[in-house]
Amino acid sequence: MNRVVPGPRILPYSRVVAQEELKLALELHHVVPRIGGVLMAGPRGTAKSTLVRAFALMAHGELPVTLPINATDDRVVGGWDLDALIRGEPRPQPGLLEDAADKGLLYVDEVNLLDDHLVDIILDVAATGYLSVQREGLDTAKHLSFGLVGTMNPEEGGLRPQLLDRFGLMVTAETLGATARHLLLRTVLDFEQELGREDSAWLSAARRDDARTRERLTAARRRVGDVDVPDRVLELCARAAERTEAVGQRGEIVAVLAARALAALEGADRVTPAHLRRVLPMALRHRRPEVVHGDTFDWESDEARLQDLFEA
Amino acid sequence: MAADPGLPHLPPASPSRPPVDGTAATGAVPYDDPAHRLGLALVCAAAEPALSGVLLLDLDPRLVDPVARMFGAVLAGAAEPARPPLVLGAADRDEDLWTRTRIRGGEHGITVLTEPGPLVEGDDADGAPPLVVVPDLARLSVAGMRAAVQLLGADVVTVARAGPHRTVRPRARWLAVCRGADVGRVSRHLLDRFALRLSMAGLRPPGPGEALAAPEAGEVREALLAGLPDTWRAAVHRGVRPVPVGDAAIGRARELLGPDAGVRRQLALLRLARTLAALDGRPSASAEHSDAAARLIGVAVPQSAPDRPESDPEPPGPEPGAPGPPGTLPERGGAGGHGGPRTRDGDRGLLDTGPAEGIGTAPGVAPSPAAGNPYPEDEPAAVRDAVPLSGPRRRTTGPVATRGIVIGTRRATDLRDIAHVRTVREAAVHQRARRTDRFTVSPVDLHGNVRAAAPERVLVLLLDHTCRDGTGDDGHWQQVLAPFLQWAYTSRATVQVIEVGAADAADELRAGSFTARSVLDPRVPGALYRRAGRATPLAHGVELAAQALRRLFRRPGTGPAEAWLVVVTDGRGNVPLRVSHTGRPAGEVAATGVEDAVEAAARIGTMDRTRLHVAVVDPGREPYGDLPYVLADRLGAIVVDGRHGSGAEAAGE
Repeated sequence: MNRVVPGPRILPYSRVVAQEELKLALELHHVVPRIGGVLMAGPRGTAKSTLVRAFALMAHGELPVTLPINATDDRVVGGWDLDALIRGEPRPQPGLLEDAADKGLLYVDEVNLLDDHLVDIILDVAATGYLSVQREGLDTAKHLSFGLVGTMNPEEGGLRPQLLDRFGLMVTAETLGATARHLLLRTVLDFEQELGREDSAWLSAARRDDARTRERLTAARRRVGDVDVPDRVLELCARAAERTEAVGQRGEIVAVLAARALAALEGADRVTPAHLRRVLPMALRHRRPEVVHGDTFDWESDEARLQDLFEA
Repeated sequence: MAADPGLPHLPPASPSRPPVDGTAATGAVPYDDPAHRLGLALVCAAAEPALSGVLLLDLDPRLVDPVARMFGAVLAGAAEPARPPLVLGAADRDEDLWTRTRIRGGEHGITVLTEPGPLVEGDDADGAPPLVVVPDLARLSVAGMRAAVQLLGADVVTVARAGPHRTVRPRARWLAVCRGADVGRVSRHLLDRFALRLSMAGLRPPGPGEALAAPEAGEVREALLAGLPDTWRAAVHRGVRPVPVGDAAIGRARELLGPDAGVRRQLALLRLARTLAALDGRPSASAEHSDAAARLIGVAVPQSAPDRPESDPEPPGPEPGAPGPPGTLPERGGAGGHGGPRTRDGDRGLLDTGPAEGIGTAPGVAPSPAAGNPYPEDEPAAVRDAVPLSGPRRRTTGPVATRGIVIGTRRATDLRDIAHVRTVREAAVHQRARRTDRFTVSPVDLHGNVRAAAPERVLVLLLDHTCRDGTGDDGHWQQVLAPFLQWAYTSRATVQVIEVGAADAADELRAGSFTARSVLDPRVPGALYRRAGRATPLAHGVELAAQALRRLFRRPGTGPAEAWLVVVTDGRGNVPLRVSHTGRPAGEVAATGVEDAVEAAARIGTMDRTRLHVAVVDPGREPYGDLPYVLADRLGAIVVDGRHGSGAEAAGE
């Protein structure tokens, strides 16, 4: 039995106020799924979960496959349909990872609160792209590929470096200024009021804006394969990773993929250093040694270290 | 309607304040009365799903049940009986909350049925929203806290546990209670999810005389519900339609909450303001509604704000004689002055239902001008528990694997600490498919217990407050203790504090004692800075320490692996043990107080030294500077110089 509530009441993506970095990360990931996932960190009440759900509704027309923090492992990797089993009918039931592979996205809310053994399972599958289930009389093996989107409030604890590294991009929610806050409050209250109206012009306009964004993303997906990446950009990327002492090479690869996606979104034919610089914090901030040892995700000092690279 | 013994209702206005005419207007609510604020808050929470979480701070524990039943009655309305609430506590587990397995015996053996659990079963049902009650939020299990974080204020929630897989839209209302001093043990993340937070420190149970004068209980529920204005009853039953919120209301809410308030907090205040406006039949919410909402939850509202934004222009009210702008408090002793919508019974509103019974402010106690801080976690002194929403780490080796109370089950990897019922239940599910002659338990059915982390380490602090030199320079004293406290913090030790000679002791002839779950308990730092009194019942303190240690080490199965006893004293006890026991001074004391303390210390000296370490902190007072050494000798303790030394070495750092 899989029941879904009709008509989720999520603020339309086009009406989410501010958090441009978070939106850009989701859009880049949508254009180039090989980026491998997005992690969003930020204090409570910064619209992280709303943004992910709104994006999925805008881009896919449905809510993302969501892995709740209290999920059981058989629901994650798949098992037997329990109701059928009780009736004596052995009927396999796909897990959330398979559902995510079908839809391309697995959303983990409060990812830092996930039980360790579930984290291990997700890590294995995300890293190898291979799900093998050998238990409870099941004997299955499948190739699975999905983007991992997680949200977390760092106040409630951190993430293991291995899991951090599995997220291609990492972004932090911005603290809003007075004007943006006012606009946010205005928007949420207006949205809640408009929900009760049958023919809401406000909601219709938001849906139209969402459709335009979807078209823009679709066009960028088509175009991204033709976007050229000059050697100079690759060299810059390598030097930036060296300067920030990024752990491993995944950061550089993701940075180039993201820069290419950004160029496609902007309609450019080739990736420029400006594209790269825009996405570098997302690709490298969670791969620096100090973060691996539990430090913050602050990027300001690294920005200063990269200044002359991009001025040259 | 059937009698409902003990169901509380709201008290009338104070006798010193004449009844307010037309109290259906939310602006006419006397916000300095916690009972009235509570009543209106519950109506708002029932009417507006976005205000589904109600957190009451410092509510008298005796009032939890009456308030829960009152909330249940408001939610159910007059048309249907109130459903029993789901009560969550320290022992709730994921498998009990999200899914429910029913096992029935039949002709063909055992039948197993899986259903949605109590947290989500009411989300598909018709009728009044379910009510979840948490009598002590700080002691809620990790599973319960995580469930609250997922459900409170969420639009959709996914349940992905064995059995029914579903995405639900939560409808339940939550009523949680927490001591203000305990908020540090609750995740801020979780606290933030409660849209309505009120300090109820001023709410008192009725005195015995009032209880005897109470009306027939069966009348109370009817009075409560009939007293609601028609518009409010409709709002509670069907919910309120959100009214527009003016920019002035938004600006005012931000001003009232301050620049550092989170968006969720601001939204909660504005939703409350919007609900108050809707209850009053107003077409939009204005700055005055933000003021009223702030007063309701206890946020200070400046009476005169020179730069206060102008109110939104509002269309005239829905009917002639509509109430004045909410938030304008009726003058104490005045008539209120608003002509609000009349109730069916004339002019009795929710807040004037019947005589006082069940809940009310303490007789004779003047309402406090400050309603209490609804956000105590913002206080700089609030101590914080680390990652309270994370479950206990799995223990894989040693005897600790079977310590602690069972808080859940998980698939077993060995045969230790098997959860038998869960294992048999798993096996029962598969019996038909296995088609075996007998009931078969296979290795994949095996489940083990998940246990709460039982304290493995204990710090017993014996503090003699009279050993200070009176100069007020206690820096060394706290500095010496710091390593022991750090050890207790890092090893998550429980702390037993025994105090001797405090100026504010309940009985100066006896030592006092309390147990704290960790050093983060605010009582622990409080005990370090107590003023000194006159008497020093040191012998009684040492005796209490010995009893505490003996009790800890004798606890079957969950005794501590390591304990520290740290005694801070100059050794100059002046209360004999017999005096402490009898509570009566008798004869000359002389050296009896010291001798009794040394004798009591000898009993600790004979305890198991493989798990117990003892240190005496010597404050270095003269004369009789050797007394701490005598005590340490009997205790088998090391001596730490309390003036210049540091306990770091002693605590193994």
